[in-house]
Amino acid sequence: MEYFLQQLVNGVTLGSIYGLIAIGYTMVYGIIGMINFAHGDIFMIGAFIAIISFLIFGLTSIALPFILLFVLLISMLFTACYGWTVEKLAYKPLRGSFRLAPLISALGMSIVLQNFVQVAQGARTKAIHPIITGKFEFFKESDFVVIVSHLQIFMVLLTIALMAGFTFLITKTDLGRAQRACEQDKTMASLLGINVDRTISVTFIIGSSLASVAGMMFVLYYGVIDFYIGFLAGIKAFTAAVLGGIGSLPGAMLGGLIIGLIEVMWSGYISSEYKDVAAFSVLIVTLIFFPTGLLGKPEIEKV
Amino acid sequence: MNNSVELKKNIKDSLFTGLIALAIFGPIVGLRTRLQKEGLYIDPQWLMVFFLVVGSALGRFLINLNSSRKTEIAFLKNTKLSISNYFSNKGKHIAITGFLFAVAYPFLPFTDRYLLDVGIMVLTYIMLGWGLNIVVGLAGLLDLGYVAFYAVGAYSFALLSTTFGWSFWICLPLAGIFAAFAGILLGFPVLRLRGDYLAIVTLGFGEIVRIILLNWYDLTGGPDGIGGISRPSFFGLPFTNNLKEGENSFHTFFNLEYSTAHKLIFLYYLILILALVTNFFTLRIRKLPVGRAWEALREDEIACKSLGVNPTNTKLTAFAIGAMFGGFAGAFFATKQTFVSPESFTFIESAIIVAIVVLGGMGSQTGVVLAAIFLIGFTEVFRELEQFRMIAFGLAMVLIMLFKPKGILSNREPTIKLHGDKK
Amino acid sequence: MSNKLLSVENLTMKFGGLIAIDNLSFSADESQITSIIGPNGAGKTTVFNCLTGFYKPSEGEMILHKDDDSISLKKYTDFKISHKAKVARTFQNIRLFSSMSVLENLLVAQHNELMVASGYSIFGLLNLKRYKDKEREAVEKAKYWLDLTGLTPRADDNAGDLSYGDQRKLEIIRAMCTNPKLLCLDEPAAGLNPKESSELNKLLRFIKTEKQTGILLIEHDMSVVMGISDHVVVLNYGKKIFEGTAKDTRNSKEVIEAYLGVEE
Repeated sequence: MEYFLQQLVNGVTLGSIYGLIAIGYTMVYGIIGMINFAHGDIFMIGAFIAIISFLIFGLTSIALPFILLFVLLISMLFTACYGWTVEKLAYKPLRGSFRLAPLISALGMSIVLQNFVQVAQGARTKAIHPIITGKFEFFKESDFVVIVSHLQIFMVLLTIALMAGFTFLITKTDLGRAQRACEQDKTMASLLGINVDRTISVTFIIGSSLASVAGMMFVLYYGVIDFYIGFLAGIKAFTAAVLGGIGSLPGAMLGGLIIGLIEVMWSGYISSEYKDVAAFSVLIVTLIFFPTGLLGKPEIEKV
Repeated sequence: MNNSVELKKNIKDSLFTGLIALAIFGPIVGLRTRLQKEGLYIDPQWLMVFFLVVGSALGRFLINLNSSRKTEIAFLKNTKLSISNYFSNKGKHIAITGFLFAVAYPFLPFTDRYLLDVGIMVLTYIMLGWGLNIVVGLAGLLDLGYVAFYAVGAYSFALLSTTFGWSFWICLPLAGIFAAFAGILLGFPVLRLRGDYLAIVTLGFGEIVRIILLNWYDLTGGPDGIGGISRPSFFGLPFTNNLKEGENSFHTFFNLEYSTAHKLIFLYYLILILALVTNFFTLRIRKLPVGRAWEALREDEIACKSLGVNPTNTKLTAFAIGAMFGGFAGAFFATKQTFVSPESFTFIESAIIVAIVVLGGMGSQTGVVLAAIFLIGFTEVFRELEQFRMIAFGLAMVLIMLFKPKGILSNREPTIKLHGDKK
Repeated sequence: MSNKLLSVENLTMKFGGLIAIDNLSFSADESQITSIIGPNGAGKTTVFNCLTGFYKPSEGEMILHKDDDSISLKKYTDFKISHKAKVARTFQNIRLFSSMSVLENLLVAQHNELMVASGYSIFGLLNLKRYKDKEREAVEKAKYWLDLTGLTPRADDNAGDLSYGDQRKLEIIRAMCTNPKLLCLDEPAAGLNPKESSELNKLLRFIKTEKQTGILLIEHDMSVVMGISDHVVVLNYGKKIFEGTAKDTRNSKEVIEAYLGVEE
């Protein structure tokens, strides 16, 4: 029982990371109908920027909460630039093109980003000492002590805060309205005076910022990163987005939690070597049997 | 008056570009991290960042200048058009010249062991490209997990060869059959998915195969792989220097001095023949109803359905046949290396093969050859640029999509003509 | 008197809460041209999509009378509608294989027979006479239709390079290459100039009389509808408001009201 609770805690934490990345996939798919293959690598870049920022701020004597805040903001800012640039260079010109063109371009961008970081930062993994330490212990008398670390609480709270913030943004503000309009009908939206290009750019910026938060969390949680983490995390987050219902924001978060839990439970109870196989299998099964996901809307193809 | 307004706008644009470049290159390039025992250190590389930022701003400035001069663009367009027209008109001549060059290659004066090896590698990728071309180029199904069939072919060959000791010529068709079977197994549930979803699912499948190969130690040897795979012989004559009494080997039979080059040359012609079979098969099947159905499916699936074409079976056939050729290539790879391990079957390989097909022009056989020679051959020879090779790959994919989405050689000839060839 | 080819009985199509077709019944005879008309949004293309296997109707039946058999079209979806039920269609936005030649488009239409003749490609790969003969036959059939519509000189050109009117013709003769019993045409006259429209009428009359194919037509162009229809079905808001001859339709009060509204 205690073991299960621990897996639950770990799963929710991991799920928060996946959920934040998944939001980027689902928003972009919702508005321009393409899978941003390079999004996972944006997450990776966020992680690198976070680790670099932690190093720099670590040299100062600023208090920890402020360091976290600064690193958060800096990561979001710089990673957003990446997201924005990728969209402008590789996706925007292909908006009218045949179906596979943006996907192939995204694939190319993903390869470029991965290798760009590999060349610029070296191929070795990067490690950092733990930054947020401390934990709560439960069930201390039993065989298995359930540990909930401060970091895990921080991650989940931050995710909840961001989710609340963005749900407010999407449902109550002009930007959110513009975004929902563009998702429905871009031509009509532009005829009504909405700047479609800018709305799409903002979508990418938001998605990238959230991915960078996930990147920062990854650095804090695992302490080790390399240029390849984007690939795996990207696939899993995409699975989460599809599972939750592509195009649905709460769906992305829900999907993320489910995938996080599946991965941790599989790892904990069955085998950890094949945990990625579990994730990929969920992807294949979801796409074949539940393509609209849990909270998504069914699509009818017009002939 | 106009010019100064434009100039101001241009400068503003370039400064903005420089700013963005600073954000992009600043942290990642400028603050290079280095892991030492004690911890992570930062080595600043500000000079590099400076060049990149200035370069980006300048580049933007020049592009803006150029876009106002329409004649430059027209010149570029005309050059591109004439290149692809040249290739399509002289298509047959180029193919024949290329073929003759490929046949003579091992005996050309500049071809040393190293270049022969490169040649073998290029031909392997050409064969893989031609195999994937059936799936991606003709049928229009974006398969990002092609490496899985390559792996199935290689590992089935390895297992058959080491477990039963069968010869290359028996294991080769079996490897193809296993790969085709894998293709049907994967294809059946997923082929009705839409383009982008199909791409991701095939990617997932490719990774699943790799992870299984990596972890199923009992069957596949895990990360250690399978070694001791037999090499093919020349009609029963082995290429070896260790001879038993009264037995012949290749060099004794032909009265030559023993050289390891013989083995290599034989392997070269082996892959050449395999690749040519793939090519010949593709050229013939394009003219058959199933080949035409593939291309029609790529053009418009709904129209196909309205004409009674069964899309699932048609796609499945393309998938299985493409997989089969991937399997053959895998078998060749296993026998050439005499050793297989999961490292050779990563997603990057799938991406490279897709890049070759896409760059070459979906459906164009000659295009695949050119793309493979360029992407594999050139960058292999300039090994020092290894790191930049992958960046160049990725950029090439993006650029081709932006400027010539149908690939370098995208002019298509009909498979059958009512009026015959006109000049 | 020609025989009944198609009976649509109580057809209903719902999309969630929206009722696109409401209890529609009508019939079409073979060797006749039946037009389905109605204001935009009346549900005409939805009827087609139900008949040709793209939508599964919520309720109702669609019976095709073929030879001495009656088959329910509901059972056939996707590609089987053309292959087994012998119902062919064209589309509102022309769907040709643009990068393939005109001749190739017509050969794809004969895919199934050619596949069998090629021994599912085995005979074809071996270049056997059996396949080559069948392919020649298929080309002859294509040529027949090309000659009929004057498209023969363009046979080796890419379908996408043809003029709009020629593309429409090509789509129709491509459908005819599947030997259909029922041909469904979705706005075939859209975008055609008067000369092209009259050529279209000629083609459709030819198909009706010489090929004994029943034709079902969605149209807005009244010159085409009135000119060649033997039978007209009028829809409005998913319901049938009139069925009869072209002349009666023109004079029907309900039809005029549906199109022009009622006088205040």
